[in-house]
Amino acid sequence: MLGYHLKLIGRSLRQRPTHAMLIVLGIALGVAVATAFSAIRHSFAKDPIPEKSSTLHYVRIDSWDLSSYWETVPSQLTYIDAMAIMRSDIPVRKSAMFRAELNVVPEPGKTTASREAARLCFGDFFTMFNVPFEYGKGWDRSADEARDPVVVLSKELNDRIFGGSNSVGKLLHIEDRDFRVVGVLARWSPSIRYYDLVSGRSQSPPESMFVPFNFAGPMQIRPVGSQSSWKPPSGPGYEPEMFTGEKIWLQMWVELPTADKVVAFRSFLDAYVIDQKKVGRLRRPANNQVTPLLDWMAERHSVPPETTVMMIVALLFLSVCAMNLMGLLMAKFLARAPRIGVLRALGAQRWDIFVLHLLECEIVALTGGAIGFVLAWGALFGVNNYVKSMFRRADLFQMDWTMVLFAVVASLVAGLMAGLYPAYRVCRVSPSVYLKLQ
Amino acid sequence: MEEFGPIFRAMLRNKVKFGLIVAEIALTLAVMANCAAMISKARNEVNRPSGFDDENLLAVSARPLDVAMRQPGALAAMFRRDRDIVRAAPGVRSMLETRFAPWSDSDSSTEIRVKGTNVELPTQDYNIGEGLTSALGVNLVEGREFTREDVDRDTERSVAVNEPTPGRGTDAQLAKSFEQDVIISLAFAKLAFGDGPYVGKWFDSDGGSYFHVVGVIDRFYKPAHQQRVDEYVMFMADRDESYQRGFRALVRTEPGQAATVARKIEERLQGSEDLLEIKVEGIPEVRTRHFGPQRLVATLMGIVIVLLVLVTSLGVAGLTSFSVTERTRQIGTRRALGATTGTIIRYFLMENWLLTTVGLILGVALAVGLNVVAVTVFSGTKLNVPLLTFSMVLLWTVGLGSAIAPAMRGSRISPAVATRNI
Repeated sequence: MLGYHLKLIGRSLRQRPTHAMLIVLGIALGVAVATAFSAIRHSFAKDPIPEKSSTLHYVRIDSWDLSSYWETVPSQLTYIDAMAIMRSDIPVRKSAMFRAELNVVPEPGKTTASREAARLCFGDFFTMFNVPFEYGKGWDRSADEARDPVVVLSKELNDRIFGGSNSVGKLLHIEDRDFRVVGVLARWSPSIRYYDLVSGRSQSPPESMFVPFNFAGPMQIRPVGSQSSWKPPSGPGYEPEMFTGEKIWLQMWVELPTADKVVAFRSFLDAYVIDQKKVGRLRRPANNQVTPLLDWMAERHSVPPETTVMMIVALLFLSVCAMNLMGLLMAKFLARAPRIGVLRALGAQRWDIFVLHLLECEIVALTGGAIGFVLAWGALFGVNNYVKSMFRRADLFQMDWTMVLFAVVASLVAGLMAGLYPAYRVCRVSPSVYLKLQ
Repeated sequence: MEEFGPIFRAMLRNKVKFGLIVAEIALTLAVMANCAAMISKARNEVNRPSGFDDENLLAVSARPLDVAMRQPGALAAMFRRDRDIVRAAPGVRSMLETRFAPWSDSDSSTEIRVKGTNVELPTQDYNIGEGLTSALGVNLVEGREFTREDVDRDTERSVAVNEPTPGRGTDAQLAKSFEQDVIISLAFAKLAFGDGPYVGKWFDSDGGSYFHVVGVIDRFYKPAHQQRVDEYVMFMADRDESYQRGFRALVRTEPGQAATVARKIEERLQGSEDLLEIKVEGIPEVRTRHFGPQRLVATLMGIVIVLLVLVTSLGVAGLTSFSVTERTRQIGTRRALGATTGTIIRYFLMENWLLTTVGLILGVALAVGLNVVAVTVFSGTKLNVPLLTFSMVLLWTVGLGSAIAPAMRGSRISPAVATRNI
């Protein structure tokens, strides 16, 4: 019966190929738009590091003055507070960090120098965020303490400077001194720069190089991105402004793998704030925030609301396409009614007719879905190209297996919505009417 | 009009089939009208003028790539060279040294108080050189703009406060009570002082600095991250010579020469003795980038509307065609009884017109409902009557248009068919 029906489906598709194509294309368009628009939202909304997002926490302390600029707790820390947290042993991994721009001179004296986005961070950064390496690895805590001049390069920068070769061990001149390359990243470009949702556009790609945080002082590196202060520095120069003053400019991440660790870390922060109040710092009421990654992303609105609206529009569009499919299938099935009458008279059960027709709808929907997914993929390429100059990257929106699954489910649901009624109608065909006519 | 009764009774007997067309039209209208509202909002944002001479403005940036430039003396010399190169380039009408650029994504803002009050007022704040009004194409309402002497004096003073110079040290005393002349926008002046005159008024800030209003410009607009400061600005005289940021200027060219002048400036800076990273960008490009997300939303919504109309017309054509096939015998009988081809076409078009109209009426209700959700949950755009009317007229036409071909096919059914079996 199934084989026979499949043969029938095939024959009916071949008989009116344009009609069949229109049916399939209609649902393909629906799935294409729904998948493409959902993928756009998904690029921002997905968990960027599912294996440990619940253990990564962003830390804030309210170090602001009583004046009004920050209505709530500021989004970054002062150097004093960040270093106090770095001294805590409770987090299994931790890193204060900031974004900067540094001059890179591959060969001194040549005019190939360039200014590169850099992240100053601690060695824990790479293991904390599971950063993938192509060559070598990050540096360890002893390198941080000894202030070893080491650097990790992005794949793109390594391609540009060292032609993509294994550059571990080579020297790179950054600003006024030489750094030794210890690692080169594999391709790593999350749609959201989730480890820094504060400096500039969070859709920017990761920095081209990673430099040990402890060089900030000796090289007098200032951040690019957000920084603010309620109190003018106590004196001239870098240190009073950045290190000993009340300027907030650092992001702070800690990895707390268990609930106990979270509790312990929170009480550590509370105790720290009380101590600081005793020495006359931190004038506002204590407001310490230890925020898990996904909550922090939600708080920073990493999903633009327009993308949610667009996804809803796309799903409505898919339902219009499903309605359309329903009309076309009904016409197709009822045109077949005389044959169904004969089948029924020969003993086919209503249920069989129903299931077979529903199956046909799902085949049509899945075929359309497959075409739709390919179209959506193409559309994402187009959109990525369109936004290239805006975000300075061509891989902002990405397809993944979740979106494949989405396309399959969307097609099946659309097929079911469109097919239920026509299949029901055709299985109710009364054999006698058509036998009479024949 | 005698068809009206039979059409209506036929619809009642075929609720699902006809209901489907009605529902499809209704949903199409609802989605389409809301998409159109989003597009019109995006267009309004994109078309908002900055009030400056955008077409003839260039943002110039030349950043040193040589650490030797970190030395204050070397840095000042580099700035002098860059300044002279840009100002002397042919086609340059005026030049304003500043990090500020209309429509750029970075902005700087602060909070200050009217002297003697406790209310913190938010405003954008930028350091500038001389030549404000001619570069931006704005007018002074009151007071004066900065002269080269103002800029040189205040720059020197701020260097003394911020950067330790070898031998001389820094002037900590100066930092304690720093007085600076400022030029503000009229909107900010009104916010701070109400009615004029404004020149001679004072601001102060937490750091113990005082700001003295010397000039007021008539207009200013730059979208900032904090939206409420878009029209507020406070300009201070300072060349802001920083190694990290490099030389930054806004250049106004002779009308229509922006592209040529940009190339000239780039070439000449390239030829300077310093190792520089140079970027010269027209403000229209900066603007395009700034509105990128809005343009993207508008484009995608436009595509959705086109596809929606396409799919719906396909659906209407399909269902009408189905109707025709289903009623082959009926049409044949009517033709045999004397109905003309015109009558048959009219019958199907009338049926379609009725369905579309019912669909559109329901669609208006659905569109408004959807819009209420969009506005309350996603702070979307309110629908308006012209948009809704336009969408309705379009769908009406599309609905009728897609029914014509199947109706014509129906009219060609020969009366003889009625006598045959299927």
